[in-house]
Amino acid sequence: MAILEGRNLRKTYRLSKKNKVEALKGVEISIESGEMVAIMGPSGSGKSTLMHLLGLLHSPDPNHGPAPELYLGDQNVASLSDDERTKIRARRMGFVFQDFNLVPTLTAIENVLLACDYAGIKGKAAREAALEALGLVGLADRAGHKPAELSGGEQQRVAIARALVNKPEIILADEPTGNLDSDRSAEVLALLRQFNREHGQTIVLVTHDAEVGEACDRVIRMRDGRIRDNGLRAAAPAMAVDAVAVPA
Amino acid sequence: MRLLRDLGRRKLRSTLTISGIAIGIMALVVFGSMANKMNALIDGGSKYYADKDVVSIGNMYAGTIQPLSLTDVDKIKAVDGVAAAAPSIEMMLDDSTATTMGTPEMITGTVPGSDKGLETFATTIAQGRKLQFGDTGNVVVLGSDLARKLNASAGGKVTIRGQEFEVIGILDPTLTAPDKDAEMPLATAQQLFVSTLPPVVRANVKASDLATSITVYPAKGVDPAVLKLRLEAALGTSYSVMDGADFDAMLGSISVIFSLVLTGVAGLSLLVGGLSTINTMAMAVAERTREIGIKRAIGASRWRIRREVVVESAAIGLIAGLIGLAIGAAMTTMFNDMGRASGNVLFDLTFGTAATALLFATGLGALAGFVPAWGASRLDPVTALRYE
Repeated sequence: MAILEGRNLRKTYRLSKKNKVEALKGVEISIESGEMVAIMGPSGSGKSTLMHLLGLLHSPDPNHGPAPELYLGDQNVASLSDDERTKIRARRMGFVFQDFNLVPTLTAIENVLLACDYAGIKGKAAREAALEALGLVGLADRAGHKPAELSGGEQQRVAIARALVNKPEIILADEPTGNLDSDRSAEVLALLRQFNREHGQTIVLVTHDAEVGEACDRVIRMRDGRIRDNGLRAAAPAMAVDAVAVPA
Repeated sequence: MRLLRDLGRRKLRSTLTISGIAIGIMALVVFGSMANKMNALIDGGSKYYADKDVVSIGNMYAGTIQPLSLTDVDKIKAVDGVAAAAPSIEMMLDDSTATTMGTPEMITGTVPGSDKGLETFATTIAQGRKLQFGDTGNVVVLGSDLARKLNASAGGKVTIRGQEFEVIGILDPTLTAPDKDAEMPLATAQQLFVSTLPPVVRANVKASDLATSITVYPAKGVDPAVLKLRLEAALGTSYSVMDGADFDAMLGSISVIFSLVLTGVAGLSLLVGGLSTINTMAMAVAERTREIGIKRAIGASRWRIRREVVVESAAIGLIAGLIGLAIGAAMTTMFNDMGRASGNVLFDLTFGTAATALLFATGLGALAGFVPAWGASRLDPVTALRYE
């Protein structure tokens, strides 16, 4: 079953009056529930833009031709308001970024609690969930530390705990290993892989790193604002049929 | 706690902003307390004069007072609508020209009971007893401020205009004129009054016939303003008759000036403190652009971001308000203690003034936060995340 499904996704950024960048030129994409997918491509290929659309951080352009469609489950989220998208981000999605993006003044557990708070979970339930999430990433004993007191790898694990504390339907990770050395990188990747395998967590990640790509179920390759290869190999024919055949 | 940590991130800037507002609030507290004292004073006078007329010749405060004769009392009693007429001697406690804030220290000579129980301005006794009909000689009842200044207690002695007086009672504070009064029998005051007159004049007056003012109590249902007109008609133009409206007209302007000063101080602190808070919070938002991006990305609504900034800004205001109030309270207490020795208690810091100052500071902070809060909430999460 597709958890995220997009069609006619376009995004043009207007940098100035004359300077426009067509970041996405009509993309069709389908992410299956329980999949761990990598989006790869050279700089400027539109992979980050696609990630922002999938993560509801931005809306696709309304288009002149066929209207954009973006289904999260069976809800079309392509043209929701900022407030509605924010609510979905808070409750149904988790985010991991390249440079960890923890709030520097908050401790590890407070950073995780922030995500609970935005999702409307408070008090004891939130505390328990946050501790459990930190336990899952192996940092229960570092809960009271501030980001500056943690190593890069630990910070990224806190960020992963923050991403999964609300048990989101999908985790979006933008270059999650981009700022880590290869050992830490492998650690973070293994952690994501583990959640995917053990909990069926759907994960979409953008990466430059071929090793990261290889560790995923599927690699979507982009170039010049389009998907060049959706990574649906013969080895997984069921998915290929699904992705094409499921009607809007 | 999280809030204080955020404020602590930029100690110098927060401190400066808080100091700016605190100074404004301190000024507000000090001037407000002064206005309270002033208004209590004027209110007391206003209440006192509301239901009566006071007859005199010339103006005591301008030093042009001329004595009345006790025969005037009978003339006044003959006017239709007069229920009682009480003669009194009012004079400065001493001739020092030192100007004081508020009411001057006065000697008041009265005939207890001459108001026929119509005086509605009630004073209560703290020590000893009130002046009674039949008291004679050098006995005095002191107002609370004056008693403190003279370090007097009931049963003790004080010196007034070179003579020794026995203190028979001390009044409770009224926050208005009687606090600085020395009340004594009319005959005693008449003697003191005559001794201050120039020798030429003194030779031509009989002390026991003198009064400086006559307080006229209207009969039930008679409007003091109407009675004033009748008194003026009966006494002639050399007499002046003051009613409550005249008093209010005379002193109301003082109230207005104080209100203006207070509004001015409030306005200035609003402007300076508010602008500096806007600046502080705008800088804080700019510094935290990336953090706001993170929060927006993981699901903080625009409203949440706005709230965060406004609450922090209001906290700056509240902290500044508390500091300003503390310094202001310390200053008014200190000035009052210093002034007490000379009977000049100038400040009255009421709960209302303190609460207003705190609310004002907090509201100002919150208001100043709205501008940067709006900007913060409009940030695009993706752009904000890339912000270095």
